[in-house]
Amino acid sequence: MADPIHQFEIQKIFTLGHIGNQEIAFTNSSAYMFAAVAVISVLMLGGSAGRHLIPNRFQSMAELSYEFVANTLKSSIGEEGMRFFPLVFSLFMFILTANMIGIIPYTFTTTSHLIVTVALALLVFLTVFIYGIYKNGLKFFKLFVPHGIPIYILPLIMVIEVISFLSRPVSHSVRLFANMLAGHITLKVFAGFVTSLSALGAVGAAGALLPLAMTTALTGLELLVAFLQAYVFTILTCIYLNDALHPGH
Amino acid sequence: MAVGLRLSSELVAGVVVGTILGWVFDRLLSTSPWGLIVFMLLGFTAGVMNVMRSAGVGKKA
Repeated sequence: MADPIHQFEIQKIFTLGHIGNQEIAFTNSSAYMFAAVAVISVLMLGGSAGRHLIPNRFQSMAELSYEFVANTLKSSIGEEGMRFFPLVFSLFMFILTANMIGIIPYTFTTTSHLIVTVALALLVFLTVFIYGIYKNGLKFFKLFVPHGIPIYILPLIMVIEVISFLSRPVSHSVRLFANMLAGHITLKVFAGFVTSLSALGAVGAAGALLPLAMTTALTGLELLVAFLQAYVFTILTCIYLNDALHPGH
Repeated sequence: MAVGLRLSSELVAGVVVGTILGWVFDRLLSTSPWGLIVFMLLGFTAGVMNVMRSAGVGKKA
């Protein structure tokens, strides 16, 4: 049977140089990241090139994605959240495009690697932390002191709140990574059943129809998951950024 | 599946971060194993709190 993990292997394309003894290589992962950025650039530049009053398909796709992220941002932070629009829009478009490219057979899914999602989640986490302190000063730490708590259990609650705050980038990144990894492995395993069953002759080939139908259905589901996870990542980013703007609930 | 994964990742994240904090605490202050025990329990609490928050239990109106 085909190895279901093989699709996640990082392959070196060429070497860029060395930092210390560490080789810095341009890998298939980097290539697909560039591909995602290229697709987004084509969509946005192509969509904004015409500026028709009645949008053509390109332009309405670009407008649709803008409206979607802008509405998500406004509904969870409000009008002042629009200052984070470039960050949130880039995150959403990058994750969505990387997920969508990953569904195409024989491609590589950059978001199925923990290091990529951790980098994205830490970017959000540090933005919340640094911007929160820059904007609110020490009042930012009111985030860890929920009001209406009796003074004698406050120290305990504060420690728990700090742990809860620190666990955010962990769950934020693991969720996207685990969904993409699990989905792609499931797809590959069911697709592997098709080939190994059809090698058993006529009966096996007839039986292979079942996993084939399953693979088809799962591909549809994966398409949904790819969009949903990009959306979940974005909405959580909005919720966390809201804490940076309005700590202390 | 999406909701289950979301909630379980919240719980696991809390426990993992609590455990790592406890381990680092022990390493720095050589109080092994008390930091690990205490922070792991606190991590469990934080994880349960994360789950309750993301499930919307006890949300203030």
